[in-house]
Amino acid sequence: MSAFVRHPASVEEAVGWLASIPGALPISGGASLMAMINARLVEPSCLVNLERLEELRGLSLQADGSLRIGAMTRHRDIAGSALLVGAHVLLRQAAAVIANRPVRNMGTIGGALGHADPAADYLGPLRCLDAEIEIAGRSGRRSVPMSQFILGWYETALAPGEIVVAARAPPLPAGATLYRKVARVSGDFATISCALRLEEDGRGTTARAAIGACGPAPLRSETAEELLRGGLGDAEAVARFGAALQAHADPIDDVRGSADYRLKLIPRVLASAIAELTGADRG
Amino acid sequence: MKFAGAFDVKAPRPAVWEKIRDPGLMAACIPGCDSIEKVSETSYRAVVAVKVGPISARFSLVVDIVREEPPTRLVARARGEEGGRASALSCESLLSLTSLGEAGTRVEYEADVDVTGRLGKFGLGIMRKKVEQLSEAFVAAFRGRLEPAAAA
Ligand SMILES: Cc1cc2nc3c(=O)[nH]c(=O)nc-3n(C[C@H](O)[C@H](O)[C@H](O)COP(=O)(O)OP(=O)(O)OC[C@H]3O[C@@H](n4cnc5c(N)ncnc54)[C@H](O)[C@@H]3O)c2cc1C
Repeated sequence: MSAFVRHPASVEEAVGWLASIPGALPISGGASLMAMINARLVEPSCLVNLERLEELRGLSLQADGSLRIGAMTRHRDIAGSALLVGAHVLLRQAAAVIANRPVRNMGTIGGALGHADPAADYLGPLRCLDAEIEIAGRSGRRSVPMSQFILGWYETALAPGEIVVAARAPPLPAGATLYRKVARVSGDFATISCALRLEEDGRGTTARAAIGACGPAPLRSETAEELLRGGLGDAEAVARFGAALQAHADPIDDVRGSADYRLKLIPRVLASAIAELTGADRG
Repeated sequence: MKFAGAFDVKAPRPAVWEKIRDPGLMAACIPGCDSIEKVSETSYRAVVAVKVGPISARFSLVVDIVREEPPTRLVARARGEEGGRASALSCESLLSLTSLGEAGTRVEYEADVDVTGRLGKFGLGIMRKKVEQLSEAFVAAFRGRLEPAAAA
């Protein structure tokens, strides 16, 4: 590979390089990018290494209770962070089951978002937590809700030359959370995943759920979540909830499972995750 | 990878046939098509760029019309490679046109697309979705050309 590497010291310098060097790509952990370069799937002219950007580092709780995770934060650090409490625990649960230890030591949340693999483990949890993605480009900063970040298969709202700076999750009411990953073997990408949190208010408990790996972006239906309110113990209501999410699915056939199999799994995985969280399976 | 589908166009069959055999119009409707050059009455050279997520590829294709029965059926074969021969693409396709009378024309298509080399490694599941997306974009553009009233 003949790409040269830049080590910018600020976000502005990084996006400046990305905008001015044709064929330049950002690199974070390199777990996915180096594999793609080795397979000659991409041939960047220049790699802009985001390692030194202070703004992209670490997790922090903001004054308003929202959580900010810098783009360069490794899966390992998210999996072990004590700052993730309440509903935000969902991200820790997801990070802990990404691939294997070497990949978790290398990979970053910014790289996972930039790559936007439909089976990536953070996507569903970020959608389920109503997260926003902070983006920087040469023309400035903007923020995109997770619901609008993924536009198609491996396609994101990032314009060429833009980078993810951080993911931000708003403060949420405390409630039990669960990340269920169905994979052929431990360490593999998900065949299907389910990010789930329970939310209770005066009108009764409901589930907030996002299904991963069954379309270009996680599946979620706020309308169906409202219909489910108070009905978590009702098998028929839960089945209707599953069917509503299934209706939005657009899965692919691949080595991890056929499209048909994935469709069938959606209501089952959802129902079993809800049963586990509500304690129904511990009757 | 096999694909099949159908779409209706509000235009009479001979007009639809004429557009299908018009390389300039096809170039404008095929997503990512940079150029089509006529080599003979039944042979064309085309350059088509495809982007799947982070991966971009440009194919130089030779398109041969293998059989045609105007204005009802057309069988075409396309073959080509990316620069550097990193991947190869071949496609056999069959188009049938049925007159719907006043309602226009139904276009039915069947295609068998094969991608080998580096793009094949990316996963056929995703490639299939991509081809489906490209077909939808093509149909929308093609309809737009034949149904000027609808486009306005
Ligand atoms: C063997 C293996 C198994 C894996 N299994 C799983 C799994 O089970 N679950 C899972 O979720 N993931 C899995 N992954 C993916 C892993 O989580 C990667 O670490 C992650 O997808 C990319 O992170 P990275 O920091 O390594 O990104 P890089 O490889 O550095 O970059 C990936 C892509 O994103 C772009 N990019 C990098 N940083 C940014 C940024 N800040 N803003 C915008 N674009 C950026 C790059 O240009 C590149 O196109 C696996 C990867 C490997 C190699």
